[in-house]
Amino acid sequence: MAKFNNDQVSGAIWIAVGIAVALGSLRYGLGPLESPGTGFLPFWAGSAIALLALIGLIQATLRRRKGAAWTPILRGVLWQKPLLVMAALFAYALLMKPLGFLLCTVLFTGFLLRAVEPQRWPVVIAGAVGMALGAFAIFDLWLKTQLPQSPWGF
Amino acid sequence: MDYMQSIILGFQVALQWNNLLFCFIGVLIGTLVGVLPGLGPVAAISLLLPTTFHVTPVSAIIMLAGIYYGAMYGGSTTSILVNIPGEAASVVTCLDGYQMARKGRAGPALGISAFASFIAGTIGVVGLMLIAPPLAEMALKFGPPEYFSLMIMGLTVLTFLASGPMWKALLMAAFGLFLGSIGLDSMTASARFTMDIVELSDGVGMVPAVMGLFGIAEVLLNVEHSIKRSVFETRIQHLLPTFQDWKDSIGAIIRGTFIGFFLGVLPGGGAVISSFVSYAVEKKVSRTPEKFGTGIIQGVAGPEAANNAATGGAFIPLLTLGIPANSVMAILLGAMMIHGMQPGPMLVQEQPGLFWGAVTSMYIGNIMLLVLNLPLIGLWVRILKVPYPILFPLILLFCLIGAYSLNNSVIEVLIMVGFGLLGYIFKKFEYEAAPLILALVLGPMLETALRRSLLLSAGSPLIFFTRPISGILMLISFILLAYPLVPWLRRKRAIIPQVKDEE
Repeated sequence: MAKFNNDQVSGAIWIAVGIAVALGSLRYGLGPLESPGTGFLPFWAGSAIALLALIGLIQATLRRRKGAAWTPILRGVLWQKPLLVMAALFAYALLMKPLGFLLCTVLFTGFLLRAVEPQRWPVVIAGAVGMALGAFAIFDLWLKTQLPQSPWGF
Repeated sequence: MDYMQSIILGFQVALQWNNLLFCFIGVLIGTLVGVLPGLGPVAAISLLLPTTFHVTPVSAIIMLAGIYYGAMYGGSTTSILVNIPGEAASVVTCLDGYQMARKGRAGPALGISAFASFIAGTIGVVGLMLIAPPLAEMALKFGPPEYFSLMIMGLTVLTFLASGPMWKALLMAAFGLFLGSIGLDSMTASARFTMDIVELSDGVGMVPAVMGLFGIAEVLLNVEHSIKRSVFETRIQHLLPTFQDWKDSIGAIIRGTFIGFFLGVLPGGGAVISSFVSYAVEKKVSRTPEKFGTGIIQGVAGPEAANNAATGGAFIPLLTLGIPANSVMAILLGAMMIHGMQPGPMLVQEQPGLFWGAVTSMYIGNIMLLVLNLPLIGLWVRILKVPYPILFPLILLFCLIGAYSLNNSVIEVLIMVGFGLLGYIFKKFEYEAAPLILALVLGPMLETALRRSLLLSAGSPLIFFTRPISGILMLISFILLAYPLVPWLRRKRAIIPQVKDEE
């Protein structure tokens, strides 16, 4: 990675994204200029992404030659914490229907309170239950949002 | 309908008890959002948007607008007392506000900030009332080419003002246009890039995208560091500024108001930029520029006036042209569409109650904010002491419920979480999300305007340059795009990122 700097890496990824979008748009048809087709706008958007990324890549390469190196994006930060939060978010999305809103929310908020910046157990339990019940009262009971119920009826 | 009748109609709507209540809730939540670092008006409006589905459109818009200008008031409290901006537009208030607090002048700093916000906010609303109706009338003459050029100009201005290299901002705008094209083609109804996911037929939702890019990503960035806030421990007294304070700051308030209002009107401008410009102007006109940064009251009054006036100005392009000037307005545009309204030149004529009700509610909201802010300072200070580890699960929970309640769909939640991850990576690689959001919202409108224009001109792109209004708008866009290529001008533009980097 150290051979390249951040903008070179991101530029290369964007070129691939732009090309994929432009090629994908061709499937929908560009149409003639007097009556543009479904793929017209995404094709030009994809081409613009690729072109702009290429400009960025060239600029970054010129800067690299002058010494602009890779800047570690995770140095000096507690990167495990965002990872835990992301894992919890994905788990919540996948489990909220099978487990129901209340149980899933208690587990989710309890996990975050305990795992990310560890709180004492009484704070974790009171916080998790309080947040779940509070959110349920506001959204389900007051605002009539249909939050998922568990198979056990709560 | 003349102005007087319109204003009376507006007050009749805004003074209905339910609208007063929603206005109060909006400004209260707005102040809270402004006070709490790490949660801005963009995320807050997105979070609360689903809660407005059960109320009338006018109440919804009154509340959501209240959150926006309320956040501008609240942001200064955190800047002055904690030296952390409550939201981006209050960054510059930290410089002198916190120094005033350290010198035992937290009270006058908070007081002048509230009064400056009130004066500027009120003048901003007057400006909105005076400019919006004639502009809407003029906009009736706009055809698809004019709309297309205007939207291109909006995107160009935003990318121009974005921090960092312009290619990155333009790239994000192009990516936003692509994301905006996902879903059913508005002209042929054929599906594009939906990957057979039913939820994507309506396109990528703006709400999950904004909540992910701004709400979730912000939390991910905040939890990387152990956040320890220390509220400046001092007795807050003498909130009412003295005669000398007024004398020192009245000029700054007036200049800040005008700067904020006119920068707010420009698509791509807004509260953040105007507060920086106001600070720079105050420093320039001051006889003692060296004192800025040491706790000078003009350094608080000017930017606070500017960011509040900008909120009034930002409503003009949205309500008259249907074009959002910034990300907050983009969400409000989405909110209005969800509520079955089409912001644009016809809004004033077709729904005068809504237009004037929303505008006049801002007067009332500004009065509520003044009354709320000064006596409730103690409460805000106490809220500031709530530790972030307790607060962030709540922010995430609101995001999750907000995304789910859009369509009662887990897919929307997954889309939001995906955007959260994307937003985090964007921040790490220094890509700004604001052009993406604006392009995502404008994308479908821009595409329709582009295709209709080309149909009108039998395929000639010259239609965008031969019609006078469209031609002028395109010319402005080209000048902005060419800016970075001219060395002298490029140096000028580099000032903006430098200032923003201080965030």
